[in-house]
Amino acid sequence: MLLRVARTLVGPADAEDLVQETLVRAWRFMDRFDGRHPRAWLLTILRNTNMNMHRRQRPDSVEDIGTYTSARPAFGAEPPSTEDQVMQSFLPHDLEAAVAALDPKFRTVLMLIDVDELTYAEAADALGVPVGTVMSRLSRARDRIRRQLRPQFAAAQTGAQR
Amino acid sequence: MIRAIRTMVTCRWSARRIQRYLDSDPAALLADDEIRRLEAHLAVCARCGAAAAEYRQINSALSRWTARQIPDPHSVERLHDVLDRLVRGEGT
Repeated sequence: MLLRVARTLVGPADAEDLVQETLVRAWRFMDRFDGRHPRAWLLTILRNTNMNMHRRQRPDSVEDIGTYTSARPAFGAEPPSTEDQVMQSFLPHDLEAAVAALDPKFRTVLMLIDVDELTYAEAADALGVPVGTVMSRLSRARDRIRRQLRPQFAAAQTGAQR
Repeated sequence: MIRAIRTMVTCRWSARRIQRYLDSDPAALLADDEIRRLEAHLAVCARCGAAAAEYRQINSALSRWTARQIPDPHSVERLHDVLDRLVRGEGT
């Protein structure tokens, strides 16, 4: 989970360093951990570590998006069923372009929740923003993607009606 | 006329809740009566029903990215080593 989130926040090249430093700090501050919500605690340390490392915030750059769609399915990962492919009104490339076109602020939240599978609260911890901000950015990100894919949705609907 | 206005109001009300309904995130769960009202509307309103279906498609396509993005096993192994060294008190 930490590696996925780190990758979304700083990119694939720096993700491992960030997680390593996060683990070292988490170990150092273990006595301050109250035993509740370990994921939230680690995500907060990850965010602070990232800020302290003075890394330039480099939310998933456009080039990085391609690695999500071009990577081969990992061993044991469910390949998309034929049924899913039929139901999809757009091609993977259409979605990739729509995500890449998002403002990084919106894209990062979308990636944290829909790809890294964090909850709203966890994404808020990872970014250091209120849950309401996460929700509004997520909503706008999805709305923009949907708007961008509208021609494909419309074409699929027309095809289905024939 | 009144019926059209009522539908329009419900569409606006639904649009603000569809994503929360689909996500079912613990931080922003809809109340039972909101879920019932929304589901009833989605069943009869083609436009809102289509919006929900489109969000589902986008979400399902993005979750496929998750399956394809398993962290590099060597990275995971190195991080396990870091943890082992920390536990043994060796530092990094």
